Amino acid sequence: MSFLEGFKFRRKDTRIHKLDPRTKFIIVVVYTVLSLIFFNVIPLFILFLSTIFLIYMAESMNEWKKTIRGMFFFLTIIFILNFISISQNKIDYSLAMVLRFLTLTSIFSFFFLTTTPDELALAIEASGISRDYSLMFTMSLRFVPTLAKDLQTIMDALRSRGLELEKGGFIQRIRNYTYVLVPLIVYEIRRSLMIAEALEARGYGATDKISTYFELRMKRIDYIITVIAIIITILVILLKIYGMLPSWLFIKISNI
Amino acid sequence: MESNEVVIETRNLYYAYEDEKYVLKNINLRINKGEIIAILGENGAGKTTLVKHFNGLLKPTKGEVFVLGKNVKDMSVAELSKHVGIVFQNPDHQLFSETVEKEIEFAMVNFGFEKHYIEERIEWALKLMGLEKYRNRSPYTLSIGERKRLTLATVLSYDPDILILDEPTAGQDFLQKEKIAELMNLLKHRKKTIIIVTHDIEFIVNRVERVILLVGGKIIYDGDKRGALTNYKLMKEARLLPPQVSQISWILYNLGVKLPKDILYTEELLRELLRIYKS
Repeated sequence: MSFLEGFKFRRKDTRIHKLDPRTKFIIVVVYTVLSLIFFNVIPLFILFLSTIFLIYMAESMNEWKKTIRGMFFFLTIIFILNFISISQNKIDYSLAMVLRFLTLTSIFSFFFLTTTPDELALAIEASGISRDYSLMFTMSLRFVPTLAKDLQTIMDALRSRGLELEKGGFIQRIRNYTYVLVPLIVYEIRRSLMIAEALEARGYGATDKISTYFELRMKRIDYIITVIAIIITILVILLKIYGMLPSWLFIKISNI
Repeated sequence: MESNEVVIETRNLYYAYEDEKYVLKNINLRINKGEIIAILGENGAGKTTLVKHFNGLLKPTKGEVFVLGKNVKDMSVAELSKHVGIVFQNPDHQLFSETVEKEIEFAMVNFGFEKHYIEERIEWALKLMGLEKYRNRSPYTLSIGERKRLTLATVLSYDPDILILDEPTAGQDFLQKEKIAELMNLLKHRKKTIIIVTHDIEFIVNRVERVILLVGGKIIYDGDKRGALTNYKLMKEARLLPPQVSQISWILYNLGVKLPKDILYTEELLRELLRIYKS
């Protein structure tokens, strides 16, 4: 479960951590848009390198590395699937897709590593989504490590009763995992009912208008970053539409 | 009861979940056949981590673990579990079958036991744990006490030589605790080795012989229970509350009553008090 490390918030004192969550969210959106409009190796590689720079600025390289290492399996699958389903430019296209996946993973990792769940909830509410949904979202993030721990306990208990999860053919293995799923689902449903009761016992939903302890405030640096990010995105999109981007961006690396 | 046949041995056992952060440090243990042992310590002291080494769920980071004379390094969890049964704390983490009967059957099917033998063992386990009338019920419809007994039945059914109970009394009422105690007695007569992991001091006072105290992943005491439970300093170090009887006798001692400082049982305290009263 170590690939989840890169999606867990760590309290650190860096400039990135101090940014407003909305600013960081805009950075995520910008990266997502940019990585989706390109299908070439070089622009995606540049994007990927810049996400690494952001994560380096946030002093979170170790957590990010664990996630990327855990993603290795997916990356291989993405490469192979693209490679066999495409008829031309096989290597370039498959590599680009791998880079796109890496960029997206890294930028989301950057967001979750540096944004506290509280900030996240506030940012979601600030964008007009109701508190029920923002709570649902932040709680589901909060319970990912708990879920991983429960899963481990259940697997330990089953293995102690002689179940060999990795044994047998494909079908047998899937069947083995259903043994794990039943207690996991039942346990988590019970847990969520308990949490719901605890929330209500502490007055959740008592009033429509709630007060907040933390307040989000956009600082000057937030405005500057937001404006620059949006300008760059629009510029790149326009240049791409009118075919005015420099040609070296589209060089096929398989030709080099 | 005790013989000198060592069933579990650890040599300089170290374990770390993450690099260099050891949660078990230099554990050296020898557990003999037929012993009844309590592993005590506060939450996070490494109790469960330690017992998970006994059936191979965890493999040592450094050092060695031997079960029934064999190094666990080369053995699978399934192989070891046949001899070492672990009953985990929370029943909800373990039950998944449609009926109570099937739940008990699960481990024996995995171990490849013969059909008629499985049937025999299911009957035995159901009867032992008082679950006969629920045999066709879904485990999820049982009460928490019954579910706990069912988890015990699922392991006892295949008759492992060594039984490890992780927090068997957590969340159990007095009656359930008595039933677990009765069960331990029965297993003792069947010459099973029993290890309980707990911080329920009152429960173990009358039920175990040997106590192992774990603090921060290290063994600070291993020996006769009286030596640990009546040692105020050790118990404080392990963040455990000594048995109430011992606490009372210390209070009386501090008030000037001439009592020995290692009183463990109610009868002992009463005998001593009577002696003082008569003189």
